Amino acid sequence: MKKIILPVLSLFLLGALLAFAVPTGWAIARNHSIAFTTSGVSGIFKTFSGTIAFDEANPAASRFDVTIDVASINTGNGLQNKHAKSADWFNAATYPSIRFTSKKFVKSGAAYLVTGDLTVHGITREASLPFTFRKTPAGGLFTGTFAINRTDFRIGAPGGEVGEVIKLAVSVPVTKK
Amino acid sequence: MMKKAFLLGLVSGLLAGITAIAYQRVYGASLGADFKTILTPALLLAAGAFAGILAATLYTALISVLKKRGELAFNFLFTILSFGSILAAFAIKLPLDMEAPELFPGLAVPMLFFPALAWHTLKPLLNLGYEDRKRAAKL
Repeated sequence: MKKIILPVLSLFLLGALLAFAVPTGWAIARNHSIAFTTSGVSGIFKTFSGTIAFDEANPAASRFDVTIDVASINTGNGLQNKHAKSADWFNAATYPSIRFTSKKFVKSGAAYLVTGDLTVHGITREASLPFTFRKTPAGGLFTGTFAINRTDFRIGAPGGEVGEVIKLAVSVPVTKK
Repeated sequence: MMKKAFLLGLVSGLLAGITAIAYQRVYGASLGADFKTILTPALLLAAGAFAGILAATLYTALISVLKKRGELAFNFLFTILSFGSILAAFAIKLPLDMEAPELFPGLAVPMLFFPALAWHTLKPLLNLGYEDRKRAAKL
Protein backbone atom coordinates (compact mmCIF):
# COMPACT_ATOMS: atom_id res chain seq x y z
CA MET A 1 0.00 0.00 0.00
CA LYS A 2 2.84 2.40 0.92
CA LYS A 3 4.36 1.71 -2.48
CA ILE A 4 1.28 3.15 -4.17
CA ILE A 5 0.64 6.10 -1.85
CA LEU A 6 4.07 7.66 -2.31
CA PRO A 7 3.98 7.95 -6.15
CA VAL A 8 0.36 9.13 -6.07
CA LEU A 9 1.19 11.78 -3.47
CA SER A 10 4.23 12.86 -5.48
CA LEU A 11 2.15 13.21 -8.62
CA PHE A 12 -0.48 15.19 -6.76
CA LEU A 13 2.16 17.57 -5.34
CA LEU A 14 3.79 17.97 -8.74
CA GLY A 15 0.40 18.75 -10.30
CA ALA A 16 -0.34 21.32 -7.60
CA LEU A 17 3.06 22.94 -8.10
CA LEU A 18 2.57 23.10 -11.88
CA ALA A 19 -0.89 24.62 -11.41
CA PHE A 20 0.64 27.41 -9.37
CA ALA A 21 3.62 27.84 -11.70
CA VAL A 22 1.55 28.25 -14.88
CA PRO A 23 0.35 31.87 -14.98
CA THR A 24 -3.29 32.73 -15.51
CA GLY A 25 -4.39 32.92 -19.12
CA TRP A 26 -6.30 36.09 -20.01
CA ALA A 27 -8.59 36.75 -22.96
CA ILE A 28 -8.41 40.24 -24.46
CA ALA A 29 -11.74 42.04 -24.13
CA ARG A 30 -13.22 43.99 -27.02
CA ASN A 31 -13.06 47.45 -25.48
CA HIS A 32 -9.27 47.69 -25.59
CA SER A 33 -7.54 50.86 -26.69
CA ILE A 34 -4.19 51.19 -28.44
CA ALA A 35 -3.75 54.94 -28.95
CA PHE A 36 -0.78 56.76 -30.42
CA THR A 37 0.15 60.41 -30.52
CA THR A 38 2.94 62.36 -32.07
CA SER A 39 3.21 65.88 -33.35
CA GLY A 40 1.09 66.17 -36.46
CA VAL A 41 -0.96 63.01 -36.11
CA SER A 42 -2.74 60.87 -33.55
CA GLY A 43 -5.05 57.89 -33.68
CA ILE A 44 -5.75 54.34 -32.63
CA PHE A 45 -5.25 50.78 -33.77
CA LYS A 46 -8.59 49.05 -33.55
CA THR A 47 -7.57 45.41 -33.85
CA PHE A 48 -5.42 43.91 -31.13
CA SER A 49 -5.14 40.19 -30.45
CA GLY A 50 -2.86 37.55 -29.03
CA THR A 51 -2.20 35.49 -25.95
CA ILE A 52 -1.61 36.90 -22.50
CA ALA A 53 -0.51 34.72 -19.61
CA PHE A 54 0.17 36.75 -16.54
CA ASP A 55 0.36 36.12 -12.83
CA GLU A 56 0.95 38.97 -10.40
CA ALA A 57 2.46 36.57 -7.90
CA ASN A 58 4.77 35.05 -10.46
CA PRO A 59 5.55 37.59 -13.17
CA ALA A 60 8.68 35.75 -14.25
CA ALA A 61 6.57 32.91 -15.66
CA SER A 62 4.27 35.29 -17.54
CA ARG A 63 4.15 35.61 -21.30
CA PHE A 64 2.80 38.11 -23.81
CA ASP A 65 2.52 37.38 -27.50
CA VAL A 66 0.36 40.11 -28.95
CA THR A 67 -0.31 41.47 -32.41
CA ILE A 68 -1.72 44.70 -33.74
CA ASP A 69 -3.35 44.73 -37.17
CA VAL A 70 -1.71 47.64 -39.03
CA ALA A 71 -4.66 47.97 -41.42
CA SER A 72 -6.91 48.78 -38.45
CA ILE A 73 -5.22 52.16 -37.96
CA ASN A 74 -7.65 55.03 -37.58
CA THR A 75 -6.51 58.63 -37.39
CA GLY A 76 -10.03 59.99 -37.84
CA ASN A 77 -9.19 61.16 -41.35
CA GLY A 78 -9.59 58.96 -44.43
CA LEU A 79 -6.67 60.48 -46.33
CA GLN A 80 -4.34 60.13 -43.35
CA ASN A 81 -5.42 56.50 -42.85
CA LYS A 82 -4.64 55.70 -46.48
CA HIS A 83 -1.29 57.45 -46.23
CA ALA A 84 -0.39 55.67 -42.98
CA LYS A 85 -1.06 52.27 -44.56
CA SER A 86 0.90 53.09 -47.72
CA ALA A 87 4.46 52.06 -48.52
CA ASP A 88 5.66 55.50 -47.38
CA TRP A 89 4.74 54.67 -43.77
CA PHE A 90 3.65 51.32 -42.29
CA ASN A 91 3.39 49.48 -45.63
CA ALA A 92 0.43 47.43 -44.38
CA ALA A 93 0.34 45.28 -47.52
CA THR A 94 3.86 43.93 -46.90
CA TYR A 95 3.97 44.19 -43.09
CA PRO A 96 0.39 43.64 -41.96
CA SER A 97 1.09 43.34 -38.24
CA ILE A 98 3.00 44.79 -35.32
CA ARG A 99 4.06 42.05 -32.90
CA PHE A 100 5.42 41.99 -29.40
CA THR A 101 6.74 38.79 -27.86
CA SER A 102 7.85 38.93 -24.26
CA LYS A 103 11.13 37.50 -23.00
CA LYS A 104 11.42 38.78 -19.45
CA PHE A 105 9.18 40.31 -16.77
CA VAL A 106 10.42 42.37 -13.85
CA LYS A 107 8.30 43.75 -11.05
CA SER A 108 9.18 47.34 -10.25
CA GLY A 109 7.21 48.73 -7.31
CA ALA A 110 3.53 48.64 -8.17
CA ALA A 111 4.29 48.32 -11.88
CA TYR A 112 6.00 45.80 -14.13
CA LEU A 113 8.53 45.99 -16.90
CA VAL A 114 8.31 43.56 -19.76
CA THR A 115 11.22 43.15 -22.12
CA GLY A 116 10.69 41.48 -25.44
CA ASP A 117 10.96 41.62 -29.20
CA LEU A 118 8.96 44.32 -30.90
CA THR A 119 8.50 43.83 -34.63
CA VAL A 120 7.27 46.82 -36.59
CA HIS A 121 7.54 47.36 -40.35
CA GLY A 122 9.48 44.08 -40.62
CA ILE A 123 12.19 45.24 -38.21
CA THR A 124 12.62 43.53 -34.85
CA ARG A 125 14.15 45.35 -31.91
CA GLU A 126 14.29 44.62 -28.23
CA ALA A 127 11.99 46.89 -26.27
CA SER A 128 11.17 47.30 -22.59
CA LEU A 129 7.61 48.35 -21.94
CA PRO A 130 6.37 49.43 -18.50
CA PHE A 131 2.83 48.48 -17.54
CA THR A 132 0.50 48.13 -14.61
CA PHE A 133 -2.08 45.49 -13.87
CA ARG A 134 -5.10 45.73 -11.62
CA LYS A 135 -7.90 43.34 -10.97
CA THR A 136 -11.39 44.42 -11.97
CA PRO A 137 -14.79 42.80 -11.37
CA ALA A 138 -14.72 41.52 -14.96
CA GLY A 139 -11.14 40.24 -14.76
CA GLY A 140 -8.22 42.63 -15.05
CA LEU A 141 -6.87 45.69 -16.76
CA PHE A 142 -3.42 46.17 -18.26
CA THR A 143 -2.36 49.76 -18.85
CA GLY A 144 0.88 51.20 -20.08
CA THR A 145 2.39 54.22 -21.76
CA PHE A 146 5.66 54.20 -23.60
CA ALA A 147 7.37 55.77 -26.58
CA ILE A 148 9.07 54.38 -29.66
CA ASN A 149 11.14 56.15 -32.26
CA ARG A 150 9.65 55.56 -35.70
CA THR A 151 13.02 55.96 -37.41
CA ASP A 152 14.28 52.88 -35.48
CA PHE A 153 11.75 50.91 -37.51
CA ARG A 154 12.13 52.93 -40.73
CA ILE A 155 8.55 54.15 -40.62
CA GLY A 156 8.34 57.19 -42.87
CA ALA A 157 11.23 59.44 -43.77
CA PRO A 158 13.16 61.07 -40.92
CA GLY A 159 12.06 64.61 -40.11
CA GLY A 160 9.02 66.17 -41.71
CA GLU A 161 5.79 67.24 -40.09
CA VAL A 162 5.21 63.97 -38.22
CA GLY A 163 7.24 63.67 -35.03
CA GLU A 164 9.81 60.90 -34.75
CA VAL A 165 8.90 59.87 -31.21
CA ILE A 166 5.52 58.18 -31.10
CA LYS A 167 3.84 57.93 -27.71
CA LEU A 168 1.64 54.91 -27.17
CA ALA A 169 -1.05 54.55 -24.54
CA VAL A 170 -2.33 51.03 -24.12
CA SER A 171 -5.35 49.97 -22.13
CA VAL A 172 -6.28 46.30 -22.37
CA PRO A 173 -9.14 44.92 -20.31
CA VAL A 174 -8.97 41.16 -19.96
CA THR A 175 -11.14 38.36 -18.70
CA LYS A 176 -10.00 35.07 -17.23
CA LYS A 177 -9.87 32.21 -19.73
CA MET B 1 -34.57 94.18 -51.16
CA MET B 2 -32.78 93.31 -47.96
CA LYS B 3 -35.87 91.61 -46.57
CA LYS B 4 -36.29 89.57 -49.76
CA ALA B 5 -32.62 88.59 -49.75
CA PHE B 6 -32.78 87.39 -46.16
CA LEU B 7 -36.02 85.52 -46.82
CA LEU B 8 -34.37 83.85 -49.79
CA GLY B 9 -31.29 83.08 -47.69
CA LEU B 10 -33.33 81.50 -44.92
CA VAL B 11 -35.66 79.50 -47.17
CA SER B 12 -32.91 78.31 -49.50
CA GLY B 13 -30.72 77.46 -46.50
CA LEU B 14 -33.47 75.36 -44.93
CA LEU B 15 -34.12 73.70 -48.29
CA ALA B 16 -30.39 72.91 -48.51
CA GLY B 17 -30.57 71.43 -45.01
CA ILE B 18 -33.57 69.24 -45.86
CA THR B 19 -31.87 68.08 -49.06
CA ALA B 20 -28.73 67.26 -47.06
CA ILE B 21 -30.75 65.16 -44.61
CA ALA B 22 -32.34 63.25 -47.51
CA TYR B 23 -28.96 62.77 -49.18
CA GLN B 24 -27.44 61.51 -45.92
CA ARG B 25 -30.16 58.87 -45.66
CA VAL B 26 -29.59 57.69 -49.23
CA TYR B 27 -25.80 57.70 -48.74
CA GLY B 28 -26.04 55.79 -45.47
CA ALA B 29 -28.43 53.20 -46.91
CA SER B 30 -26.34 52.58 -50.02
CA LEU B 31 -22.84 52.57 -48.49
CA GLY B 32 -23.51 51.64 -44.89
CA ALA B 33 -21.60 54.66 -43.67
CA ASP B 34 -23.20 56.18 -40.61
CA PHE B 35 -22.14 59.73 -39.73
CA LYS B 36 -25.45 60.70 -38.10
CA THR B 37 -23.77 61.31 -34.77
CA ILE B 38 -21.67 64.11 -36.30
CA LEU B 39 -23.99 65.43 -38.99
CA THR B 40 -27.23 65.45 -37.03
CA PRO B 41 -30.43 66.66 -38.78
CA ALA B 42 -30.48 69.72 -36.48
CA LEU B 43 -26.89 70.56 -37.41
CA LEU B 44 -27.59 70.19 -41.14
CA LEU B 45 -30.61 72.49 -40.92
CA ALA B 46 -28.73 75.04 -38.81
CA ALA B 47 -25.69 74.94 -41.12
CA GLY B 48 -27.95 75.38 -44.16
CA ALA B 49 -29.75 78.34 -42.58
CA PHE B 50 -26.43 79.88 -41.54
CA ALA B 51 -25.02 79.51 -45.06
CA GLY B 52 -28.22 81.05 -46.50
CA ILE B 53 -28.14 84.06 -44.14
CA LEU B 54 -24.43 84.52 -44.85
CA ALA B 55 -25.15 84.45 -48.59
CA ALA B 56 -27.96 86.99 -48.15
CA THR B 57 -25.67 89.34 -46.21
CA LEU B 58 -22.98 89.01 -48.86
CA TYR B 59 -25.51 89.51 -51.66
CA THR B 60 -27.00 92.65 -50.10
CA ALA B 61 -23.57 94.12 -49.47
CA LEU B 62 -22.26 93.41 -52.98
CA ILE B 63 -25.40 94.72 -54.73
CA SER B 64 -25.33 97.94 -52.74
CA VAL B 65 -21.60 98.49 -53.40
CA LEU B 66 -21.16 97.19 -56.95
CA LYS B 67 -24.72 97.82 -58.23
CA LYS B 68 -25.19 95.94 -61.56
CA ARG B 69 -21.94 93.97 -61.21
CA GLY B 70 -22.77 92.95 -57.66
CA GLU B 71 -24.79 89.97 -58.80
CA LEU B 72 -21.98 88.62 -60.98
CA ALA B 73 -19.47 89.14 -58.17
CA PHE B 74 -21.80 87.38 -55.73
CA ASN B 75 -22.31 84.39 -58.02
CA PHE B 76 -18.56 83.99 -58.48
CA LEU B 77 -17.89 84.40 -54.76
CA PHE B 78 -20.61 81.94 -53.73
CA THR B 79 -19.27 79.33 -56.16
CA ILE B 80 -15.65 79.89 -55.12
CA LEU B 81 -16.55 79.63 -51.43
CA SER B 82 -18.54 76.44 -52.09
CA PHE B 83 -15.57 74.89 -53.92
CA GLY B 84 -13.13 76.14 -51.27
CA SER B 85 -15.11 74.51 -48.48
CA ILE B 86 -14.34 71.10 -50.03
CA LEU B 87 -10.92 71.33 -48.39
CA ALA B 88 -12.54 71.34 -44.97
CA ALA B 89 -14.45 68.14 -45.76
CA PHE B 90 -11.18 66.38 -46.61
CA ALA B 91 -9.18 67.85 -43.74
CA ILE B 92 -11.69 67.21 -40.93
CA LYS B 93 -10.63 64.80 -38.19
CA LEU B 94 -13.51 62.64 -37.07
CA PRO B 95 -13.89 61.01 -33.65
CA LEU B 96 -11.73 57.88 -33.51
CA ASP B 97 -14.66 55.57 -32.82
CA MET B 98 -16.17 56.56 -36.16
CA GLU B 99 -15.94 53.78 -38.74
CA ALA B 100 -14.71 54.36 -42.32
CA PRO B 101 -13.72 58.06 -42.17
CA GLU B 102 -12.61 57.75 -45.81
CA LEU B 103 -16.30 57.75 -46.77
CA PHE B 104 -16.94 61.10 -45.06
CA PRO B 105 -15.89 63.41 -47.94
CA GLY B 106 -18.26 61.54 -50.28
CA LEU B 107 -21.07 62.53 -47.97
CA ALA B 108 -20.01 66.05 -47.05
CA VAL B 109 -18.70 67.41 -50.36
CA PRO B 110 -22.01 67.36 -52.30
CA MET B 111 -23.75 68.91 -49.28
CA LEU B 112 -21.45 71.92 -49.50
CA PHE B 113 -23.00 72.84 -52.84
CA PHE B 114 -26.61 72.53 -51.68
CA PRO B 115 -26.89 76.12 -50.33
CA ALA B 116 -25.71 77.59 -53.66
CA LEU B 117 -27.99 75.27 -55.64
CA ALA B 118 -31.00 76.11 -53.48
CA TRP B 119 -30.25 79.86 -53.65
CA HIS B 120 -30.04 79.88 -57.44
CA THR B 121 -33.12 77.62 -57.75
CA LEU B 122 -35.34 79.85 -55.62
CA LYS B 123 -33.95 83.25 -56.55
CA PRO B 124 -36.09 83.81 -59.71
CA LEU B 125 -39.23 83.33 -57.58
CA LEU B 126 -38.40 86.42 -55.55
CA ASN B 127 -37.43 88.76 -58.44
CA LEU B 128 -34.37 89.71 -56.53
CA GLY B 129 -31.92 90.61 -59.31
CA TYR B 130 -30.59 94.10 -59.96
CA GLU B 131 -32.58 94.35 -63.19
CA ASP B 132 -35.73 93.24 -61.36
CA ARG B 133 -35.23 95.99 -58.80
CA LYS B 134 -34.66 98.55 -61.57
CA ARG B 135 -37.80 97.41 -63.37
CA ALA B 136 -39.83 97.61 -60.17
CA ALA B 137 -38.53 101.12 -59.49
CA LYS B 138 -39.71 102.29 -62.96
CA LEU B 139 -43.23 100.99 -62.27
